[in-house]
Amino acid sequence: MNRRGYLAALASAGVVGTGLAIHRWNSDPVGVDSVTIETLDAPGSDAGTIQIPLLDQPTVVDCFATWCSTCRAMMPRLGQVHEQYDDVEFVSVSVEPIGLSVHRHDIVEWWKQHDGRWTVGIDQNLEFTGSFDITTVPTTLVFDDTQRVVARETGMKSVETMSTWLSGT
Amino acid sequence: MYRREYLTAFSAATVWVAGCLSDDTPTALSPPDRAVSSDDLAYPAHGERLPEVELDSPLHDQVVSTTEFVDAREVLMTFVLTRCPGPCHTLTAALAHAQADANEHGYESELALMPVTFDPEHDDRLTLEEFSRDNGADPTAANWQFLRPETPTEAETVVGETFGVGFEEVPPEEADHDDHGHHDDDHETTFIHTNLLVLVNRDGYVERAYDGQPPSADVILDDLHTVRDTFA
Repeated sequence: MNRRGYLAALASAGVVGTGLAIHRWNSDPVGVDSVTIETLDAPGSDAGTIQIPLLDQPTVVDCFATWCSTCRAMMPRLGQVHEQYDDVEFVSVSVEPIGLSVHRHDIVEWWKQHDGRWTVGIDQNLEFTGSFDITTVPTTLVFDDTQRVVARETGMKSVETMSTWLSGT
Repeated sequence: MYRREYLTAFSAATVWVAGCLSDDTPTALSPPDRAVSSDDLAYPAHGERLPEVELDSPLHDQVVSTTEFVDAREVLMTFVLTRCPGPCHTLTAALAHAQADANEHGYESELALMPVTFDPEHDDRLTLEEFSRDNGADPTAANWQFLRPETPTEAETVVGETFGVGFEEVPPEEADHDDHGHHDDDHETTFIHTNLLVLVNRDGYVERAYDGQPPSADVILDDLHTVRDTFA
């Protein structure tokens, strides 16, 4: 195939390697099923498991990876919003493959370096990834206290945007 | 059965059951639900043979053919550059998830992971190794073969023309930063490129060509398991 051919194919596939899609999730009138996430012993986080979204409490879930510079840049913003909403559970979930070259202690170290102060876990069995079709990082989801997804967005989010989401939960 | 014959069979039978490999069909997975046939796509797609090309595998200091593992392993192949800000990580991490799954379930010798860089001037051996590790892969494993064309010209020939993966370098001033104006200083140069991840069965036929937004890793693993179960 010549160059024109495959660039045409590129256009037809509607694909780019830069930029991140941003969209709001259509709120489902019925709450979603909770997923079990392994949590790590790290600042603001205890080793164990957590069911997300929580029952009867709004939950913010931020899917991240340690390689992701945008995820790194999001941490101070998440921290600000976390401080403002005592009644909201925050959970950051690494969606990386764990056990070959990225290990639990790497996640904890990244967490410390970027001043994480809430629950952090891993999606070891891809249960959350599969249930919520996580295809890029960062992806942030907000669940209200009936486990409905009220917001979903990829890429950078402002403090104001996230606060707006939470003010409606 | 030849390609034209089994495509005819697809249209004649409106229902195709996944996981039903027979002597007449080269794939375990059903054709994807799309308006175009594999023939019309630039890249190798469902039911087509994986193109055969020999490329350097710098992490193992050897030359590897893209068909090296026919008759022995399923293959997951993708096309990336390490300077990529987003999707190339996702694509590579998907392969790493498969590598981890293979290790966990004991089929690491029946799977080959072949990311291919199309940025050979930047992506030297150490860069490829670090990028692999950053995305959760074990670059020292025999099943992790990070392939690299020797020159940009060969990259265009192999990745662009043979595999139909379009790519084009974008000057920094034209790069599309995210919608909130975030500028990533780690990635001054970027490329526009097709996202493609290909699952190939051990007979050398493409089972699934995932294009566009990379699928979540669990989708790829589900398909891989279906293919493995069918060929077992």
